[in-house]
Amino acid sequence: MKEFITVIAALVAAPVLGGLLAGIDRKLTARLQGRVGPPVLQPFYDVVKLLHKEPLAVNRVQVSYVFLHLAFMLIVIVLLVTGRDLLMVLFAHAFSTIALILAGMSVRSPYSRIGSQRKIMQMLAYEPILVLLVVGVYLSTVNFLAATVVTTPRPLLLTMPLVFLAFLMAVAIKLEKSPFDVASSHHAHQELVKGITIEIAGPYLALVEITRFCEQAALFAVIAMFWAQNLFVGALLAIAAFVALILVDNCFARLTTFWMVRYMWTVPMLMALSNIIWLYA
Amino acid sequence: MNTTLSVPLLLVACPLVFGTCVYFAKTATVRNALVACAAVATMAAGVIAAISGPLVVPGNGALALAALAAEAAAIITVIVVAIRIRSWSIGALGALQLALSGIGCMIERGQGFHAEAPAFVLDSLSTILVLVVSLVGPVIVLYAIGYMNKHHEHAHPGEGSDRRFFLLMVGFLGVMNGLVLANSLRWLGAFWEATTLCSFFLIGHTGTAEAKANAKRALLLNSVGGVALAGAAVGAARAGADSLSGIMAVKALAPMALLCVAAFTKSAQMPFQSWLLGAMVAPTPVSALLHSATMVKAGSYLVLRLAPAFSGQKLMFLVAIAGAFTFAVASTLAVGQSNAKKVLAYSTISNLGLIVACAGINTPLAYAAALMILSFHAVSKGLLFICIGTIEQFIRSRDIEDMGSIMFQLPVTTVIALTGMLSMLLPPFGMLLSKWMAIEAAIASPLILVLVIAGSALTVLFWAKWIGRIQTVSYHPAYRREQLPPTMLVTEIVLAAAVVILGVAAIPLYHRFIEPLALSAYAGVEVPEASLALLRAVKSSMVWPVFLFIGLAAAAIVIALMRFNEKHVRLPFLCGENCGELREGGTLSYSFRGMKDARDTAWSATLYFRSIIHEGAITRWCSLLALLILIAMFGEIGVI
Amino acid sequence: MNLVSNSPWIVHYNCNSCNGCDIEFVACLSPLYDVERFGALHVGNPKHADMLVVTGSVNHRNARVLRNVYEQMPSPKVVLAMGVCTSSGGVFAGCYNILGGIDTVIPVDVFVPGCPPRPEAMIDGVVKALAVLEDKRRGAETATPAKPALTFFPPAPPAQEAARQEAAHA
Repeated sequence: MKEFITVIAALVAAPVLGGLLAGIDRKLTARLQGRVGPPVLQPFYDVVKLLHKEPLAVNRVQVSYVFLHLAFMLIVIVLLVTGRDLLMVLFAHAFSTIALILAGMSVRSPYSRIGSQRKIMQMLAYEPILVLLVVGVYLSTVNFLAATVVTTPRPLLLTMPLVFLAFLMAVAIKLEKSPFDVASSHHAHQELVKGITIEIAGPYLALVEITRFCEQAALFAVIAMFWAQNLFVGALLAIAAFVALILVDNCFARLTTFWMVRYMWTVPMLMALSNIIWLYA
Repeated sequence: MNTTLSVPLLLVACPLVFGTCVYFAKTATVRNALVACAAVATMAAGVIAAISGPLVVPGNGALALAALAAEAAAIITVIVVAIRIRSWSIGALGALQLALSGIGCMIERGQGFHAEAPAFVLDSLSTILVLVVSLVGPVIVLYAIGYMNKHHEHAHPGEGSDRRFFLLMVGFLGVMNGLVLANSLRWLGAFWEATTLCSFFLIGHTGTAEAKANAKRALLLNSVGGVALAGAAVGAARAGADSLSGIMAVKALAPMALLCVAAFTKSAQMPFQSWLLGAMVAPTPVSALLHSATMVKAGSYLVLRLAPAFSGQKLMFLVAIAGAFTFAVASTLAVGQSNAKKVLAYSTISNLGLIVACAGINTPLAYAAALMILSFHAVSKGLLFICIGTIEQFIRSRDIEDMGSIMFQLPVTTVIALTGMLSMLLPPFGMLLSKWMAIEAAIASPLILVLVIAGSALTVLFWAKWIGRIQTVSYHPAYRREQLPPTMLVTEIVLAAAVVILGVAAIPLYHRFIEPLALSAYAGVEVPEASLALLRAVKSSMVWPVFLFIGLAAAAIVIALMRFNEKHVRLPFLCGENCGELREGGTLSYSFRGMKDARDTAWSATLYFRSIIHEGAITRWCSLLALLILIAMFGEIGVI
Repeated sequence: MNLVSNSPWIVHYNCNSCNGCDIEFVACLSPLYDVERFGALHVGNPKHADMLVVTGSVNHRNARVLRNVYEQMPSPKVVLAMGVCTSSGGVFAGCYNILGGIDTVIPVDVFVPGCPPRPEAMIDGVVKALAVLEDKRRGAETATPAKPALTFFPPAPPAQEAARQEAAHA
């Protein structure tokens, strides 16, 4: 029963928290650019508005995948808060992204398809880092369960600092931050307009947005898990990472897809791998 | 415990007898009816075998003699074939195999033991294989009726007759059942060669020059396996064993290594993978039956059966490396392919590699993962192959890039094919669970782990690309059902239903059958405590409620699709230059006005990374590496 | 309750403009005016947009593009006509290729006069359009706005003039 309440609370809290983070992100970015910026609650206004729009679609397939996109992300949240197997969390997360990719691929729009293909490349770039993170957690706690991360005596940050840095870069890709925002971006870029979500409109786009909020919450929860022994420190860690990501986003221009893959498979990958090998030894 | 010969006889003889009848049937109608009867009878035999429970047929003199005769006959057939196709290398290998078998017999005689070990064993592991062979196999054979009918429209003049085709297809089921049941090395050798011959004739069925060449290559590489098998028998005889259970009892390393080589050839592991790719020239039901669902599983089954006895040996670590290496490399190569059947072939090779890797990791968890992959892959891949067969006959192309519009032309088959593809990677289907278990089991060794992770990521990549291409659909107000022969449509639906039911039942099946089986396989074996802890953790993580969300999503999708209204349908954004409107009862136009108002169609191809993935170079260098791993296996056991 | 007017996402289409209005409109997004204060985003994609901002006059070639962009927006949606060209054709009125203002192709909700309008006027137009947007969500009737009065009447083009004279002769 207690677990049930936790799950319900998490399912409510995750999109709210993620939405707030998105709002703060927009506000901070605006301030960095010398603007006033939208209200912090702006992401919620956006979602409410989208829910009241006409449900335009290009075909039926697209609609189906949008729901799967959200469902898998909710599974991620549930698995995380109930302390289940981290590898399963990772899989569910990957499927959520794949559902979005397939939604983008299912329409005959060059922009959407290019966005999807770039999203695939993004997955190729960050997914190994996430798996190495899970491997690192296993080696540190001798367990794949998310629950043991909290009970293990040593904070993960101390056993795998390099994996942490690599993971931050993976998060930057996941949140479509520059220089990795190749598949879809918050700004009107010429060559792919909106990329992967271009053909998703109205309430369906609202679902995608809600999923994005949940994902954001989940990712920062994982960052906080690096110091799960004292959640106050963990939260500080997550906030620091959040601010750092926004700074990086505003400092960089967007770079090309293949540069991203090359970079991710060299620098962060080597960092994570050397950390893992150190843990094995 | 059942000890009579009736069940093995039923499983083996029933398809063989029916196959012979099919061969002598005069008209096509009678032949098709007989094939259908054979299919039903084989299924019934499989179910009877599964229900009647475990069985051990003790060896005796007569059986041993029969086995010897069968093996000799099979090898001599290979030699005759070799002479007919003028391949001296195959002939030499056949002669070598015959000689080795003779030597093996003499050693057995000399040591004065024979026929003590059981000739046939039907335990839980072989029951799984028997069920796969005699439930999935007949469905594919039924599919072949409709397929071959249509196939004749474009047949090559030199194509083999239909009666021979169905004799081989139906007879193969019996032979394969025999292979799975065999415990004595003689019987194993006999059935092993028989499946090789079936495969050879079926690959060469279309009679084109390419088919003949590929059939020859398949026979050559599998003859290498045959020689290894015969060599294993000699080694086993010297160690005092003449059966698989005997080898496990005496823990004879040299025969085990040779059996692994035989298994690698049959399961098309690197460096022997090339024959399976060549085998794709065969009619698609052949690829579905022999080259994905059943025959190629024989190799990984063999490793899996023997593995628990060799727990903790370095040899098994090398086997695991070889399997994981094949898994990663074959997945990489699949990413660069746009030929649908080649993608499926590479995917088959990679999954077999994962099974071998799991067998090599050799813990109960890995064993359970291997069993799951073995069974789920057989059903899903069989389904995918027959769907591709239908699609290929319809659009007259195997290229994935040409499959953009099949959703409209073949809605039922396409949806079924998509189900099959999604079952290869999405929860709640079993493949995902087994991949997950495989990765967790691989954690013990960093090298295997990295290979398995890379392979899994690339697997997802090529499936996602393919699914994305197939379902890039225009909006259609209504779909017309395709006109397919009933056998094709019904078999597709039956296999798709099987995939879905197995997917939903994956977790209960794991708890009820797979886990107890994996634990019993390692009953007397010392297993590291960490791997048992992982097994327990996996068990506790397999809970239903998580997948509730997928059910909810499905419900939401159904509601959304029911409320889906044509007036909300819009053309995709093409900078406002779209031309064409929603046509009455037809399709939307996806063209736009380009230069000088000319009509142009928006098109973006799928990424195949051709600049990075050079099939030839990767195959060459990775085969070399795989060969080195093989040599290392023999170095490890002290042969070289 | 303002359910849809807190986040106007704008798609901007340059019909046949001299780019004067466009430069001023882009200035609205700049730190000086920062139209994102009202939640407005420049999305560049009709499928996501609530508000279509059009600059320039309509000619034979871009009329269909304008209609397509408009049709691909999900309702409720508003159209904001920026600058005098969008109401009458402006200085281009009477050219051989010009159909006139954009209201000849799609319904307009707010006209912003000026050549070009100042960013303040544009933001004022956006805010006015938001009220219309909210009305549309409620399903209320919205009034057709009055066009800015024409202060400049261009001479009839030579071809039409010739045709007129020909008709007079007949």
